[in-house]
Amino acid sequence: MNTPRSWSSREEAVLLLNAYFDNELDAASALEVERRLASDASLKAEYDRMSALRTALRAAHGETRAPDDLRRRIAAIANAEAAGTTAVVPMRTKPASRYAWRQMAAAASLAAVVTSIGMLGAGLGPWNDTQLAEIVAGHQRALLAREPFDVASSDRHTVKPWFDSKLALSPKIVDLGEAGFPLVGGRVDVVGGKAVPVSVYKRREHLISLMAIPHASASDDGSGAKPSTRDGYAVRSWRGRDFDYSAVSDVAEHELDEFVARWRAGAKAN
Amino acid sequence: MSDERQLFQDVVMPHLDEAMSLARWLTGNRSDAEDVVQDACLRAYGAIQSARGANPRAWLLAIVRNTAFTWMGKNRPKGVIVTDDDNLIEQASLEMVDASASTPETALISMVESEDLHRAIAGLPAAYREVLVLREIEELSYQEIAKTLAIPIGTVMSRLARARSQLVQRVGQTERERRVRP
Repeated sequence: MNTPRSWSSREEAVLLLNAYFDNELDAASALEVERRLASDASLKAEYDRMSALRTALRAAHGETRAPDDLRRRIAAIANAEAAGTTAVVPMRTKPASRYAWRQMAAAASLAAVVTSIGMLGAGLGPWNDTQLAEIVAGHQRALLAREPFDVASSDRHTVKPWFDSKLALSPKIVDLGEAGFPLVGGRVDVVGGKAVPVSVYKRREHLISLMAIPHASASDDGSGAKPSTRDGYAVRSWRGRDFDYSAVSDVAEHELDEFVARWRAGAKAN
Repeated sequence: MSDERQLFQDVVMPHLDEAMSLARWLTGNRSDAEDVVQDACLRAYGAIQSARGANPRAWLLAIVRNTAFTWMGKNRPKGVIVTDDDNLIEQASLEMVDASASTPETALISMVESEDLHRAIAGLPAAYREVLVLREIEELSYQEIAKTLAIPIGTVMSRLARARSQLVQRVGQTERERRVRP
C-alpha cells in the first residue's frame, strides 16, 4: 500500500486519484482522497471520467472474440503436436477458414495414426499405403495451418530457390497460371521421415499440394499417373525426373487429372 | 486424450477470447492479434506442464503478453518503445496535468464505440499501453506490474495515470468529431 507524500501539485493529486481508483492506497490515504473528492469538483470529474473509461475498456475487452477459425486452429495444436510429424511455419495473409470442421478433425486424428504407423512403411518404395497417408496428412495439415505454405509466391523463380536453400532440393515447378492453376507458394512436409518440398497451387478456392519425393531414377518414364483417394482427397502419383510426385487435392478428379497432364507437359517442355 | 492435451483443453481453450482481446490491445489490430495468439498457444502447449497449480487465465495471458512483445520486436522494431526511455515519455505527456477546457465530459466517454476505443489504445505509446493492459486486463497490482516490467512503482503510477489521461483525451476528441460530422 502506498502513502501519499503530499498534495503539492495537481499532477500528484491525479496520481493519487489513480491509485485510489485502483485500490492501491492504505485506508488513511484513501479517506483523504475521499475527503478531497467531496470538496474538489474538478477532481471528482476526473474520477468520473476514469470510471467511465474503465467501464468502456471492460466492455471493449468483453466484446472481442477469438474468431472461429482461429479457435479451430488452436484446438488443432494439441492434436497436431501430439502427432508431431510436420513442422508448420505459419505465414500470414488471410486465414484459410473455408474448411469444414469435420475435415479438420479428420486431419488431426489421421495425423495421430500416421505417427504410430509411420515407421513401418519406411523403405517400401513410393506410394505404398503409409506414404499415401502421410502425403494426404501433409495436405490436410496445411489446410489447418494459418497458411498452406511457408513461402508465399506466385513466382516459381522465388519458390524454387527457396526449396533449394531450405532442402538443397530443386523439384520442377511449372507455371500453370494461365491454365487456371496459379502457383501460390511452397512448404516443407515430412514424408517417410524426410523433409520434402511441396509446391502449392490453387484451383479457384481449392488447394493442390504437389509433393516431390526424391528418388534415384533419372527421368520421367512417361507412365500414367497412379490415381488413388484417401479420406475424400484425390491423389495422383507419378514418377518424374529425380522425383516421385504426388498431387493431392479436393478438386474434382477430372480437374486434378487436367492439372497433372498440364504439369507434366510443362515439366517436359522446360 | 493425453494428459497434455487435456490440460491444454482446460487451461487454454476457455480463455481464448480474452487472449485475443489482450493481443488486440497490445498489437493494435485483429490480424496481428491472431498471429500472436496462435504463436502464444503454440508456446503454451510446449510449456503446458508449468500451468499446473497456476491460475490458468493469468498463466495464459502472461504468455500472450510476452509473445506479443517478442512478436512486435520482430515484426515492427520501430513500434516498440524502449520502456526506460522516460524522458521522451514524460515530455510528451505533461499535458495531463492541464485540466483544460478540452477535457471531455464523462457522458462522452461512456458513448465511445469499441472500435474507436481500440484505435485510441493502439495510438498510445507502447510503454503506456503495457501498464494499462497489465492493470485493466490482467488486473495485476501496481507491485506486480512493477515486477513484471522491471520498473519502479512510481513509474507504474505515472504511466498508468498518463495512459488513462491520454485515452480520455483521444476518446473525447473522436466523439466530438463524430458529433460535428453531418
